[in-house]
Amino acid sequence: MSDVVDLSLPAGADLLVLARLTAATVASRAGFDVEEIEDLRLAVDELCVSLLHEGADGRLNLAFTRDGTLVEVSCTFQPASSSNGTGGESEAVQGLSAQILDALVDEHGRETVAGDDRAWLRKRRSRQED
Amino acid sequence: MEEAFDITEETREGISTVSVVGEIDIATAPTLREILESTIDRGVEVVVVDLLGVTFIDSTALGVLIGALKRCNEAGGSMRIAVSDQRVLKVFEITGLTDLFSIFPTLEEAVQG
Repeated sequence: MSDVVDLSLPAGADLLVLARLTAATVASRAGFDVEEIEDLRLAVDELCVSLLHEGADGRLNLAFTRDGTLVEVSCTFQPASSSNGTGGESEAVQGLSAQILDALVDEHGRETVAGDDRAWLRKRRSRQED
Repeated sequence: MEEAFDITEETREGISTVSVVGEIDIATAPTLREILESTIDRGVEVVVVDLLGVTFIDSTALGVLIGALKRCNEAGGSMRIAVSDQRVLKVFEITGLTDLFSIFPTLEEAVQG
């Protein structure tokens, strides 16, 4: 059976720390080691950053799913009606973000669902059960 | 609990040291950018970015540092970074930026170059 934790934040960047904190807690409960927890914290941050740009207005909706040793995180950005929508950071930063995600998680991707941008990642604990 | 973000700048004998504490992310990176740009634009020869007290860094922070390095080089100056936290170093290594930046494990070594 999997556990799901939902987190909804205003897209103001100063609250991304909550997304990182939730990622660390979920990873810890999934038995990730210290380095893996730090990796997931950064990866979740990059997931959110990939949907935001400075001054973005709207809400970030994250879902953390823990299923045994697997953690899946999805993040959707819902722009406020007056917002000009997502744009993400510059191409250079987006490239760095993708590199970081490639290195830290098993899979990641991005899609558009019902007009909203959704980014997701999956990371499995490397340590096997005895 | 992690330290709150703080940034200070000090110039001595032609070397400006910008010291950062806490987490550099999309929220705090603009402040770092502002300080670095104003420091570089004063025409200092060397800018040392002290990240010894930094506990988290992401792609937005890296983007700011890359931009600052470019600005510094165009102004004829040089930029060095002091980093010791393995979590922060790992991000530079993953992105290959250890080849781009001059990175030192202590502030003293970064200042001396």
